[in-house]
This record gives sequence, structure tokens and C-alpha cells, in this order.
Amino acid sequence: MASASCWRCLIRPSQRLLLTIPTSLSAAPAAAFTTSAAQYARLPATKTPKPKAKFASGEINMSRHIRAGKRLFLGKKKKRQPDKFKPPATGERKAFRKRIQLTNNNALEVKGLEEMTAENIVDPESVGKMVGLPEELIDQLRAIEAFKPTQNWGLFRAPHVLLRQESVDLARQLTEAVGNKETLRMVITGERAVGKSMLGLQAQATGFLNKWIVINIPEAQELVTASTEYSPVHNSDMFSQPIYTLKMFQAIYKSNAALLSQLRVELDHMHLPVTVNRGMTLAALTSITKEPEFAWPVFQSFWKELLLPGRPPILLTLDGLSHIMRISDYRSPSFELIHSHNFGLVRMFTEALGGKTRFPNGAAVLGVTSKGNSPKIPSFEKALEQAAAAHNGLPIPPRDPFYTKYDERVFDAMNGVKVFDVRGVSKTEARALMEYWAASGILRMRVDEHNVSEKYTLSGNGVLGEMERVALFDVRMSM
Amino acid sequence: MGVNFHEKKLVKKALTTFYGLGPQAAARILAKHTIHPLARLGAVPPKTITALTTELSTMTIENDARRIVQDNIKRLRDMGTYRGRRHAMGLPVRGQRTRGQIENARRFNCLERGGTWSRI
Repeated sequence: MASASCWRCLIRPSQRLLLTIPTSLSAAPAAAFTTSAAQYARLPATKTPKPKAKFASGEINMSRHIRAGKRLFLGKKKKRQPDKFKPPATGERKAFRKRIQLTNNNALEVKGLEEMTAENIVDPESVGKMVGLPEELIDQLRAIEAFKPTQNWGLFRAPHVLLRQESVDLARQLTEAVGNKETLRMVITGERAVGKSMLGLQAQATGFLNKWIVINIPEAQELVTASTEYSPVHNSDMFSQPIYTLKMFQAIYKSNAALLSQLRVELDHMHLPVTVNRGMTLAALTSITKEPEFAWPVFQSFWKELLLPGRPPILLTLDGLSHIMRISDYRSPSFELIHSHNFGLVRMFTEALGGKTRFPNGAAVLGVTSKGNSPKIPSFEKALEQAAAAHNGLPIPPRDPFYTKYDERVFDAMNGVKVFDVRGVSKTEARALMEYWAASGILRMRVDEHNVSEKYTLSGNGVLGEMERVALFDVRMSM
Repeated sequence: MGVNFHEKKLVKKALTTFYGLGPQAAARILAKHTIHPLARLGAVPPKTITALTTELSTMTIENDARRIVQDNIKRLRDMGTYRGRRHAMGLPVRGQRTRGQIENARRFNCLERGGTWSRI
């Protein structure tokens, strides 16, 4: 039985949380009869109060049979003492909720699978293959929060991904554009659970394997829902989010350390309150300050440094694109709601996506939409339709003449982007995935034509998230 | 201010505990100092805390606000109006029926309204 938490080392959170994890349901026998009635009747005497009316409303109370005898309950009215436990430290519950577990020793090891390399991710021959992620790639992806807690990495012994047709296409487009020193601006769309975030992860893996600088915003929602600190930037209507910027600096440093430590600062940054020398490495620049006040100016200098010619190509990704296309929940000092494009990090991304930023070394800007968690924004939807039509050479659908509240900034941010629509996988790819699950010992059925067709159809013709739900549901329940 | 709050308390909640500040006023103060609504007191830099304190000292809260309310009630009573008499007797002021529930009137309508020594 697969389980998320290691049985040997019970990690904290508090005992209470451990107590409330449901016990394995898959171990419950599907018996044709039950001996539970007699079993319950033989329970040892406890002081827990039981209702006196055993046959209230004509129902049979299975917990105690009438012939088991009555019990005397003394002290029924006294309050039970709540069990004393130490509450977990701040941030512990959140860390537990958002923990990512990538290995599970209860699953079988699947041997004979290749590792992902820069070559085989663009190779059309590798469509339909499961590839493993190399160790350092895993560390880099973990540092930029590419893995999501809702994905089922914790069921398997080692993380593997399926190289589907879309992965290879995307990787090819990325590498070709960057190879020609152009900027690829793309939005990944598709239905719910179809694999968009996973494609984003594979794009980031491509970036790391090809030695690009990868900057990721894992949840665009966090920047917009007024949950992190914000502060105004002098002499402009912009705002910055200092604590989030510091966190991003740490992620960038951790994931791109090897590349950044070979690059030196070339410009003069006199206006910065911290001393930045010419010979300093960019890696040192990312960790130069811990003060929230200096976070945004240092980030702007860092960004300028990265945009100089002679630097490695940059990959910018953002998950949850529709969240940054609305007015945020933050308020300005004059109590007006701030548009999300007035925030530094968001503006950096939207200017790159809209084509305003010039990348001399080639770059790719990738926005991943989410269908399961996205606000409905008519301007964004219209912009997507127009971009998709332009991409496919169809006539561009006009704006609704009776809707007055179109947001020009959204259209500017989506100016000339390509749209990458993701659908379900093909049957061969689905079969490869199911064979991997079966080899891991998680899928307990024969992988033949019949079963693959069944799961494929149940998932709506290959929608990967639904296929996981359909095939692995009973295993996930027991986690 | 003179009161110290625990550092894990929400800033918005801490502001609301002052008499005269409710959620609206607190939200405006937070926006003015660019503090996000989910901020805890420990996360706010000391400079901003000082700015908040000075701002609070300029606003009419606590005793100033209480005095305004009490002055209004006193004025009504001194003029000998119907409303003043209702306040003095602790009965509903705004034309409600006294046949049924007048709990809130008994609690709130008094001459020394809003004081900590009152029943509120």
C-alpha cells in the first residue's frame, strides 16, 4: 500500500494532524457479510457516553446490542479534558501542506528508462517515451518550485515524465528560437488537467539542460491577491513586492548557481545603496542584500545585467497567467485598487510577453494558463482568441461592440504571442504511461488494448489528469 | 501607542480594537502606509509602526470619539427633547415598539455611552 509519509520517521506536524489522516481504505475487505455487529457488541467497557435510547426512531443501533446489557455511566456530565498538544511552529502547517515528495520507497523501481537530456527532449523519436529526471535537474526544478503538491510525484520511486508530442514540439520551438537569438513569446492553453503545468516543467527542464537562465513565477496568484508585502517605488506609479522579490532571488540563485557564478557584473550601479563592484559575480549579486528596501532596485540592476549582450539566453515562465490580467486586490495610498501591471515583477513579465523587452541573446517567455483556478477576464479571453486566430492564419474575431470595459494593457501584454493549445495524449503515449505505472507497481491491472482503451476513453480521450484520477484513484485515497 | 500588541496579531485587527476605528477606517490606514491586509505586526518595519502611531494620535479615536457621542446625547437631554428623555430612560429612541424586544435599547441607550465603565 503506497503511502506518502515514511512509516519509520513520522515527520511533524503535530500529532493531531497525524491522527486525522484517514487510514487505508483499500485494505478494507469487500466482504459479502459482516461480523462487525457482533464485534462492536464485544467492545470493552468505556466511559464514553452512549445515547440511552437504543432504538430511537426505529433504527437498529449497531454499536451495542440490547442483550449486551446496560451500563452505568457515572460522571457523564463532566466535561472531557481536551487533549493538550503543542501547536506547530509558524509556517509548519503551510510547509506540510505544500511539501513535495518526489520519491517513495514503497513503489517499485523501474529500470531501463533513459534520463532526460538536451538531445532526447527535441528528438522526434522519443515521443511516447518515459524519461527520468537527472539528479541536479531535480534540485534545480525544486528550487524554482516547478513541482506542484497536487501532482502525483509522491507515488513513484523516482520522478519520470512522459515525453509527449507536445513536449517535443515545445522543446523544438524553444531551442530553435533561442538558437536564432529571437524571442519566443508563447501562451500554453488547454482544458483542465490536460498537462499544461507539466509542459511548463518540461520547458524549464529544457532550459536548464541547455544552460539557459530560468526564472519562474510558480503561482501568479500570490502576486495579485494582496497576500505579500508591497511598497511604492519612488517617482512612479509602480509598486514593488520586496519580500517576494527576495524569495525569487533565492530561487534564482539556487537553481542557476552554476551559470551565474561565471558571469560578472559589467555595468556601473551607482544608484544602488549597496556597493556593487564591477568584478562581482551575478550569483553574488543575487544574495547581496537581505533588506526588503533594497530588493527591488537590486532586482532591476540584476535584470539589466542579464539583458546585456553576451549573456546566456533567458527563459521566463509564469503559471496562472489569467491572474495577472486583472486589477489586483492591493490598494494604493489613495485607496484605489492597483492594476496588477503596476507591480514590478508582473510588469517585467508582461513587457517581455508583449514584446517590449529586447533580449539580445535570445529568450523564451512562456505563460501557462490554468483552467481550474482562473478568474474570468473578458479582455484576456478575447486577446487569447485573437492570438490563436492570428497564429493559425484565421480571420481575427473582433471585439464585442457592446462591452465597454476592455483593458488595453491586457491586449498590449498579449501582443503577437503564439498560442500553444494542449489536448489529450494519443493512445500510444497513454499506453506508455500506463506501462510505467504498472511497472511501478501502482497500477494493478494488465496493460492490454482493452484496459488502455478503457482508461483512455474514461479520461476524455487522453486528458492526463483525468487518466491519473481514473487509474490511480484508489491508491491516492490511501495516501 | 501606549498599548503593545502581540507580534503575530493582524495589523488590521489591532487597528480595529481602537474605539472609533472600524474595518473601513482600518483599511484606509493600511492602504495609506502600503501595508497589505494580511500583514502581521511582526512583519511591519518599526519605521512604519511609528508612522502608524503618529497617524492614530491625530485621528479622533478612543476618548475623543467617546466624548463626541456623549456630548451629543447630553445636548439632546439638556434641550429637553424626546430623544434625550429616551436615552435617559434607556428605551428605544428611533420610534420602535416597546411591546416586544428592547434588549439593545436597554444595553446601549444610556447617558454615558461608550465608556469602558458602561455595560458595553
